[in-house]
Amino acid sequence: MEEWARRDSPLHRRDARVKMILLLVFLVWIGTARPAQPEAYAAYASILLVAALASRLPLLSLLWRAALVLPFAATFALLSWMAGDAERAASLVLKSSFSAFAVLLVVATTPMPALLAAVESLAAPKMLVMVVQFLYRYLFVLSEKAQHMWMAAQCRGGIRRASAGGAIAVLFASSHARAEGIHRAMLARGFAGHMPLIRPSSLHWLDISFLATGILVLSLGRWLWIL
Amino acid sequence: MHIPDGFLATPVWAALDLAAIPAVGLIARRSQAGLEDARAPLLGVMGAFVFAAQMINFPVGVGTSGHLVGGTLLACTLGPSAAVVVMTAILAVQALVFQDGGLLALGANVMNMAVAGVLAGYLPFHYWGQGPWRRAAIFLGGVLSVLVSAFLTLAQLRISGIPMPSAVLGLSMALFLVSALVEGAVTLAVFGALEKMNPGWVRKPAGAISRLRGALAAGALLMASLGALVASGLPDGLESAAAKLGIHERAWNLFETPLLDYELQFAEPVWMRKVAAGLVGLAIIYLLCAALSRWLLRRRSP
Repeated sequence: MEEWARRDSPLHRRDARVKMILLLVFLVWIGTARPAQPEAYAAYASILLVAALASRLPLLSLLWRAALVLPFAATFALLSWMAGDAERAASLVLKSSFSAFAVLLVVATTPMPALLAAVESLAAPKMLVMVVQFLYRYLFVLSEKAQHMWMAAQCRGGIRRASAGGAIAVLFASSHARAEGIHRAMLARGFAGHMPLIRPSSLHWLDISFLATGILVLSLGRWLWIL
Repeated sequence: MHIPDGFLATPVWAALDLAAIPAVGLIARRSQAGLEDARAPLLGVMGAFVFAAQMINFPVGVGTSGHLVGGTLLACTLGPSAAVVVMTAILAVQALVFQDGGLLALGANVMNMAVAGVLAGYLPFHYWGQGPWRRAAIFLGGVLSVLVSAFLTLAQLRISGIPMPSAVLGLSMALFLVSALVEGAVTLAVFGALEKMNPGWVRKPAGAISRLRGALAAGALLMASLGALVASGLPDGLESAAAKLGIHERAWNLFETPLLDYELQFAEPVWMRKVAAGLVGLAIIYLLCAALSRWLLRRRSP
């Protein structure tokens, strides 16, 4: 995912704010779509397909990752189908997978710092955005550490309940200590309560026309009763 | 337990997003107050810790294992408002990076798991955290946090019209009960180890020791979330009772309120009217409760 976000394509080059706004509009459109309109779902699918092709990312792996919602969706779709509501079953699966695919496309074409800066400029609480930033940054570090601990425990002959509690407590303590160290190091480097962006974003005319086109297409679709 | 996009009806996700934004904003500001910017790195890293801790599987009982959800543990160590912020951040990362839970449904997931779940998990500790019932309070907190968020999630799915036969509902409630008990046990185990390691990690509960109040509050929370679940499948209980008793017609003449039939008159689409009426109703109830509690407090300490 990190690697995908650093590639280059027409979709990668668009401003994160523009992508985020279009994503939200698209999600609201899908969220409020009337069920039982095959042509509407075909239209959404073709919009997603065009965007996926523009992102020049491997389509199959994208689909595979978006399919993560399918087990949950399929369970409830099966329930609806058994209750005799086949329309709802289809719309559950389609809506949830299309929404997941749209989110995935934006996240996979935007580096995390730029994405979070965009979220912040769309009036999310600054504190929360910063917490998400740190969370994402240390997620994989700490997960790897937990995996090592788990493997070491397996080598020593498995984990029991008491020792599992201890292991998590040790992880807690070392995370806490790490956070303190990080904060001290940040202060030493002149942290003043905000993370500066390395590449400040500016709106290109292409971004604005992309935003306008996207909104135009979506609202035209709704107006013509297709979407 | 994360609701993906496309499951909730428009009024449900819209209302919960509308409710979640100010709630989280307020709590985020509160968690920031008093503690400087040292807070953001700490909370972020602790969020990463919860992710990592979920990799360590807990053997519980015969052949089953569970993992930590973490809301109660964070609330008892970092404080409830910080825990809400951390859980919200976790849900945001899960929705964005791991496709676990939808973006429009994020408000619903945040309200269920980060706000209601964490606060329910902290409640027993708040009242019983210092007395002899300390361990029971932590266990109960873990159980409550999972149960309350599970009930709310099921209620929202049901009210959105997802058909849920009673067998399925019963089965999922039984599964949630098991995972709630697991969460309680895991939280208790980690808590014990943490306290042995460094008692300074654990927060001193601010509330006075009161068994009665704690039991009342925990019971009320459980009843409210369970009630939401029950009510989500039925027509309005009061209305159907009134219709049965035949006071339906008479009642409308008595109560010509602006929230007539829970619908505001000025907003255009029907669902928007219902959402607005619901939110206004909630605000009125909140203001009434706040005024009442302020009045009671003033009376007790002149």
